Amino acid sequence: MVALFGLIVGFGLYNGASRVKAWEATLAAASRDQDERLEELRERSDQVDSGELAPGLYNHPRSPSYVGGVRGQRFAMAPPGPLAVMAIGQSDLHPQYYKINNRSSQSFLDDDEIENPINLLTGRFDLGFVIVYLFPLLILALSHDLISAEREQGTLAMVLSQSVRARALVVGKALARLGLAVALVVVPSIVGALAAGVDPLRADAAVRLPLWIGVVVAYAAFWFALAVAVNALGRSSATNAVILVGCWMVLVIVAPALLNIVVTALHPMPSRVELIQATREASTAASREGSNLLARFYEDHPDLAPAEIDLNPADFWIKVQASQESIDQSIAPVLARYDAQLAHQQAMVDRLGFLSPAIVAQEALNDLAGAGMARRKLFLEQVDAYHKEWRAFFVPRVMRREMLSRSDLDNLPTFTFREEDAGAVARRVGLALLGLGIPTAVVGVAGLWGFRRVRIAG
Amino acid sequence: MIARIARKEFLEMTRDGRFRAAFAVVMVLLLASLALGWKHYRDVDDQRREAQRTTRRQWLEQGEKNPHGAAHYGVYAFKPKSPLSLVDPGVDAFTGVAVWLEAHKRNTLKHRPARDATALARFGELSAAAVLQLLVPLLIIVLAFPAFAGERDQGTLRQVMSLGVPPRELALGKALGVSWAMAVLLVPASLLGTTALGLASGPEGLIAETPRMGVMAVGYLLYFGIFLGLSLAVSALSGTSKTALLALLGFWVVNCLVVPRASADLASRLHPAPSAFEFHRALGEELSQGINSHDPNSQGMQALRETILLRYGVEREEDLPVSFAGIALQEAEEYGYGVYDKHFAALWNTFARQDQAQRLAAVVSPYLAVRSLSMGAAGTNFARDREFADAAERYRRDLIKIMNDDITQNAQGKNFGYTADADLWEKVPDFHHEAIDFRGSLAENRPDLIILAAWFLAAGFAAMIATARVRVS
Repeated sequence: MVALFGLIVGFGLYNGASRVKAWEATLAAASRDQDERLEELRERSDQVDSGELAPGLYNHPRSPSYVGGVRGQRFAMAPPGPLAVMAIGQSDLHPQYYKINNRSSQSFLDDDEIENPINLLTGRFDLGFVIVYLFPLLILALSHDLISAEREQGTLAMVLSQSVRARALVVGKALARLGLAVALVVVPSIVGALAAGVDPLRADAAVRLPLWIGVVVAYAAFWFALAVAVNALGRSSATNAVILVGCWMVLVIVAPALLNIVVTALHPMPSRVELIQATREASTAASREGSNLLARFYEDHPDLAPAEIDLNPADFWIKVQASQESIDQSIAPVLARYDAQLAHQQAMVDRLGFLSPAIVAQEALNDLAGAGMARRKLFLEQVDAYHKEWRAFFVPRVMRREMLSRSDLDNLPTFTFREEDAGAVARRVGLALLGLGIPTAVVGVAGLWGFRRVRIAG
Repeated sequence: MIARIARKEFLEMTRDGRFRAAFAVVMVLLLASLALGWKHYRDVDDQRREAQRTTRRQWLEQGEKNPHGAAHYGVYAFKPKSPLSLVDPGVDAFTGVAVWLEAHKRNTLKHRPARDATALARFGELSAAAVLQLLVPLLIIVLAFPAFAGERDQGTLRQVMSLGVPPRELALGKALGVSWAMAVLLVPASLLGTTALGLASGPEGLIAETPRMGVMAVGYLLYFGIFLGLSLAVSALSGTSKTALLALLGFWVVNCLVVPRASADLASRLHPAPSAFEFHRALGEELSQGINSHDPNSQGMQALRETILLRYGVEREEDLPVSFAGIALQEAEEYGYGVYDKHFAALWNTFARQDQAQRLAAVVSPYLAVRSLSMGAAGTNFARDREFADAAERYRRDLIKIMNDDITQNAQGKNFGYTADADLWEKVPDFHHEAIDFRGSLAENRPDLIILAAWFLAAGFAAMIATARVRVS
């Protein structure tokens, strides 16, 4: 049993670790790519200065449209979270990097990471899966016959004839097995995670690792409490096993799917088809208005009007840039609806998730690993801020029909991911611990109440 | 005798409150998932049809412009939803729904619905297929595990055997009893499912989908048969009903959870797919070696210009009887075809190899085989997605070629001011995609059927052998 579970935990961590390795390698390659492109721009720019090169406007190394929208594009990247090896979570579904440009955010935000859809459907064999799905089964195997086995073997009467109270016996046995189950999972998990590169000395890992252990212990305690309650019914071990597996089925497999149905029925997500159409209508309108739009842009931003007054309406880049702003404005309300609906859904999951400890545990483990909704939202906010900064750098120069200076190429805005505040994570996980602790207490107390009288023989 | 045993088993089940409860739960979930599937199909299908009409209208009404401007504007192709997705949505949540068809670029399908969902969606969608693949087998286990072991626990097995009932007849009777109970669940569900399909796709659609439903039904019946056979075998062999149940539940967990996930991880390790960054960088690098039709001074363009001037025997672009811009645009497109075909095929073949590796795992997990068969029959597997993407790409190439040829013919010399109007836009046919026919999809899923049939035979064989040597006490 020990070896088997050690193996399962090890396989889960191994999968998490290789995913993190691939993720880091991709970010490193993207990072190299953007640096190489920038270096090449600098070289060509120097060649232009020395007169060796006379490029067209289309690919001029100092053209703000070319640098900001094509060759100088930089990535906004989210590195793996502090405990990423411990849960893959949603990180295989959402992109971890975006190639920023000076156009509408729609031009990069709906990019996808490549993954075989069948793998996304199946889900990963990561440590999160081991804890949420398989760990309860180990616990049920250890605890379904907590008292019933003693009764069936005829030893219960003997034990209780000693000066030991039935409840003390139950609690003692449950705690001993809880200790064993937790040790079977937590020890290899922590050892494996450290071996896979989690740095316990990093400030946030030092907060997250104990919280991770706390969630696992609380989740295990819930299943033990349930086993105690079922044992209190005084049925046979076989019946207990059936009831407990039924509970596992309902709480781990059925309840999340049902809750998902409720959540999506109450807060239905508008189809992305609507976004496509809104974007298209906005861009049609923008191109139809063409120079009109451009004139209005300069009315709104007189400071950006180029020095020479002879506006050339055929100036492609300027027109494109002006229309981007109008497209962004038109689709903003559509985009806001997706965000609002998803926020409603998540709020409901946070509230009703307490109906199933599996949901609470999964959300908390993802959150701690940095593969949950909160960190994703944080990343998207930072991407949005960076996109704004990028545009603020390039758009005025495009609209003034200025070229970049040589030093501009050394001072392009860069993106650095700011990790989530460990305190905020701790607060959310604290709530989750409460969400696991309260059902544990209720079920456990009910179980002990059931043990005020014990049948000692089958 | 067999009928009598079956009747007794069935009666016992219907009288047991726990079985009735489990039954009711599965029934409610199955019917609810069918109803939800139907509603979802209807909403999404309506919306995509409407969107396809809108994108066509926008294309036709885009007004007078240069054909290359129209090519940049492009159209969208929306993936139709297959009617049987109301039973098995397959990978629909994890594949994109629409692709923008524009000049120069082959885009990927965007907007996977799962990206607009909470992490709950990753626990699995409650579809009719999920109920059939996960919960119904569990119900079969719960109904069938006491067949022999339970009677042995109660001491009634000795009595029954002493009456001279051949063990094989006893097993058949028990199997029939469980099958009868399952029929009470599955027949109404199938009728409701068929009705929903009829409502969703009309009588013609229903007839067209019938062979697919037949394949699905065969697959699921084989799958249920596997669980029934295994349950009887284990029940006959194990010492107590408790060990029988635990062994069967263990098989369920390994079959439905452990092997699928482990094989997904192993398959992607065996045949790693590139990251989106790597994929697009490799693609971009190879594309940049071709002709950049937006850079008149590039080497490729210079060479092409000389070739064309030579062919028409003129000195200057202005004197050409055709438009060099049109020729260059089409030339660049055609260079891109090969590059895109190569990279996309390589990526999707990697996925296909991963799927093949997972199919091998079906040897230990019939769940994988029935899931693949069911998705294939429903037309919601990745092969259909790939097919749609390819069809959309062919349409894109036709559309762009019509635009470029028009420029070549009508914008002679260096006439950059040339514009076309709705007459040209009308020349592009409307986009219409027919999914692969039934035979084609059946051929793809034949290995799944074979694996299921082999499992079925093995389970039946195991049940026969085990019951023949059933221990009385």
